[in-house]
Amino acid sequence: MFRRRRSAEDFAAEIKAHLELEADELKHEGLNEQQAHTQARREFGNVTAAQERFYLKGRFVYLDKLWRDVRFGWRGLRQSPGFAVTAILTLALGVGANTAVFSVMNAVLLRSLPVSDPQRVVYVKTSGAPRHANNSGDWETSLSYPVYDALRRQKSVLSDVMAYVPLSDDKVGVRIGAQPEEAEADMVSGNFFSGLGVRLARGRTFTAQDEADHAAIAVISHNYWRARFSRDPEVLGKMLYVKGVPVTIVGVAAAGFEGVEPGHSTDFWIPLQNRAELNAWGEPPEDGKLYEQRPTWWCLRMLARLAPGVSREQAAVRLQGTFQAATYVGIGSPMQGEKPPQLSFAEAASFPGSDAAKPLHILMAMVVLVLLIALTNVVMLLVARNAARQREFSLRMALGARHGELLRQLLTESLLLVTVGGALAWGFAEVATRTLGLWAHIDSSLSPDTTVLLFTLSILLLAAVLFGLAPFRVATAGGASMALKTSAATSGTDAGKTRGGQIVVAAQMALCVVLLVGAGLLIRTMRNLELIPLGMRTEGLVVFGVDPQRTHTAPEQVAFYQELLRRLRALPGVEGATVMNSRIGSGWSSNNTAAVDGKKVEPTSGAESNMQRSNEVGSDFFGTLGVPILMGREFSDADTAAAPKVAVVSELFAQRFLPHQDPLGHHVAGMFKGEDMVIVGVVKNNKYTSMQEDPIPMVWYDYAQARLVGAMHVELRVLGDPMAILPAARKVVAQMDPDVPLTQPILQRKQFENTISQELMFARLAGFFGLLAVVLVATGLYGTLSYRVNTRTAEIGVRMAVGARRGQVLWMILKGSLLLTAVGVVVGIPLAMLVGHALESSLYGVHPLDGTSYFLAMAGLAVVALAASAVPALRAASVDPLRALRTE
Amino acid sequence: MTTQESNDDRIALLQGTLDLLILKTLVMGPCHGQGVARLIQRQSEEVFFVDHGSLYLALQRLEEKKWIRARWGVSENNRKARFYSLTAQGREQLVEKISQWRKLARAMGLVLDNPRGDEV
Repeated sequence: MFRRRRSAEDFAAEIKAHLELEADELKHEGLNEQQAHTQARREFGNVTAAQERFYLKGRFVYLDKLWRDVRFGWRGLRQSPGFAVTAILTLALGVGANTAVFSVMNAVLLRSLPVSDPQRVVYVKTSGAPRHANNSGDWETSLSYPVYDALRRQKSVLSDVMAYVPLSDDKVGVRIGAQPEEAEADMVSGNFFSGLGVRLARGRTFTAQDEADHAAIAVISHNYWRARFSRDPEVLGKMLYVKGVPVTIVGVAAAGFEGVEPGHSTDFWIPLQNRAELNAWGEPPEDGKLYEQRPTWWCLRMLARLAPGVSREQAAVRLQGTFQAATYVGIGSPMQGEKPPQLSFAEAASFPGSDAAKPLHILMAMVVLVLLIALTNVVMLLVARNAARQREFSLRMALGARHGELLRQLLTESLLLVTVGGALAWGFAEVATRTLGLWAHIDSSLSPDTTVLLFTLSILLLAAVLFGLAPFRVATAGGASMALKTSAATSGTDAGKTRGGQIVVAAQMALCVVLLVGAGLLIRTMRNLELIPLGMRTEGLVVFGVDPQRTHTAPEQVAFYQELLRRLRALPGVEGATVMNSRIGSGWSSNNTAAVDGKKVEPTSGAESNMQRSNEVGSDFFGTLGVPILMGREFSDADTAAAPKVAVVSELFAQRFLPHQDPLGHHVAGMFKGEDMVIVGVVKNNKYTSMQEDPIPMVWYDYAQARLVGAMHVELRVLGDPMAILPAARKVVAQMDPDVPLTQPILQRKQFENTISQELMFARLAGFFGLLAVVLVATGLYGTLSYRVNTRTAEIGVRMAVGARRGQVLWMILKGSLLLTAVGVVVGIPLAMLVGHALESSLYGVHPLDGTSYFLAMAGLAVVALAASAVPALRAASVDPLRALRTE
Repeated sequence: MTTQESNDDRIALLQGTLDLLILKTLVMGPCHGQGVARLIQRQSEEVFFVDHGSLYLALQRLEEKKWIRARWGVSENNRKARFYSLTAQGREQLVEKISQWRKLARAMGLVLDNPRGDEV
């Protein structure tokens, strides 16, 4: 407060002086000592009131009272720490989880592409590539250079067509200082930034001339500028060595723009290039031809800006002819019966349906249930606590406290709870949001956003008022006179009041059943996923990418990798080393139609029944991975380009395409047209793209016999901690080529688990929310029951006095909560079945009506209900009838 | 707050008049609170009833406005007391308030003495 010139003591002294002076004078007028003092006092009036008025004068009375209320409330909370901690944690967890999930939802679902006028920006999509063509990337979004060239001329329909293509299927090697690093980079058309309407924080964008010149310049993202260059204001003009090619930084994109693919954050962009090192997807040029010159290679991705007044559907109709003509440029006419690809446009305003959307919706529903349970819980805790304090309130009213003052104090207490709970909730939300953000693959640093904060704060505020008012009616129901009538029977509950509490508890139990069943189903899903056999021993395996930059032809590349493997195998602790083209467990794969002994396999049932997947791998591949060889042999260093071309097939391949015969010696098609390989081995089925993939016939080729060799992934089997080998491996690579980083080094097991990370995280969160719900329901039940037992002490005393045994009392209390549990279960099970069906697509190996999950949920709830009632019930049963009656 | 029983013909002071009375009382020289109360009652021929609590708060208020100043001292009969005296600012205020009060009293008199006013 502020400094006062005069103390209350001084004022009191003055009044005392007054009384003495007055008494002196009265004595002088003839009164005796006693009378004089009494008369002086009477004349003065209310001394205390005057002192109080002096005290209050000149203060911010409201603040002063508030401060007193806060201190009083704090003392009150500290007196019942169990209650305070429970209420605060309940609020923090409920509100924090809510904020986190809603923040991430916001980021994933509601955030639009940060471009100007995003409503008119569309993704260009195709129903597929022509049969003669092949593609990199997703089937629907990969287009060819001639298509790009044709579409960008149609200015009346599409005012801009922006092409972009990654420089690698994961990350590309970049050197800025001395050490090689990895970064995510795209090659883009000259109008990429201007067409999207993305502003630059610094420098300049690309132009059509830059695209035509294949200028060696780059625009970096704001995030990369911040993270890698520490916002260096002198960044423009610096050099990036992208796979050894020097590129000058000319611009920094506006903050928030991190590329146009959901779940990716691009570090920098360069104009479309025409050099072998910087071919699309980091692929080596085929027959010396780059992506621009290969109409059969569908590898470009495109965005377009619709011309004013043209809708997505109109644009697709008007450009269909142009598109289909362009698809066959340089490919030849369509095959017999081949349906030409169809052009379509997809909205880009919001990122196209991220995979995380559905689980997030479910999480959001779970979290709302948890919040609901948490809020009702705190209300019930407060009601129970304040009802127990009824006599205290009554006494204070008898001592002159007004309703308003009691109300203010209750509000202050709940505001205190909400403030502390809210602060904790915010901290919790910070951590949870970041974790969830990582899981949803939103690389950009995610923090709880302000709209969500405001939303949650208003919920909190509402809760504060609600929490404050809810107990008020009960608290003051006794009135001032109750303090005098000290009967527990009269202060007891009337049936209506507890029935409200019972309904809330039963509803909470129903919600709890729903959450527990959901959590059970998802946790069983997680267990099933984790136990999926991969067909290999992943313990001790570590994988990283290597993209040599000084070697270009296939023989040079092979020589590089052979030497690399030789040196890696010589490292202490390395038990095996091999290379592969597509990293297993990364989702990438090569897919073709299977061919056996020179004939394409005809589909038997379903369109994919003649499909095979393939990978190009090095010697000792199966040995390093620990995949059992069933027949024949695996690749060795003797399988060189000069040796006969060989292949290894999976068990399933042999069963499906070469049934009832010895597969060894049969021929299969190679990676490239006209290639013919001999099967030299059959291995047990093993996982390729992901943990959840259905078994698909596999063929492996030896990379040393391939026509083209690009970036490869190295697999090492190591004794001890596999990650500990990385510094040594990095040194080996650096000795051979200082510009080459180890890209995305990771445990092989982790690489596979990444393919189910969403499911794992989802299940863990669901489990967490289920547990949270159980804990909340338990505390809620405990709170209400102990409150009811408290108010029934006298009744129980009477019952026991007239002969009720402890067991009977115990049963009376337990029966109540078991009844509530039964009601909760009866209401909850049908709801849980609905939820189970909604979850169906997220389940793996579990039926939505999985009996075990339902049974465990019910049993869990019953156990929790009994445990929560046991303490108050035992307390009730140990009531001393005499003491209970004496309180009457 | 608490209501005072008034079974005599004393009049509770009008809002704002207490300040004026205090200032006027202090013109005669420094005085303590009890003395001020006695003087007001005596000089108004016991018509004004001074609520002592209000008096001390008014004294405090005037002191904070720097119209009066206070000092602990000793009374004639050797009692410790807080003596108040007028400041220059207080004198100016007194003159102004007196003229305001006279205007008000005259206006009140004009209205109350008007014979036609009774007919309403």
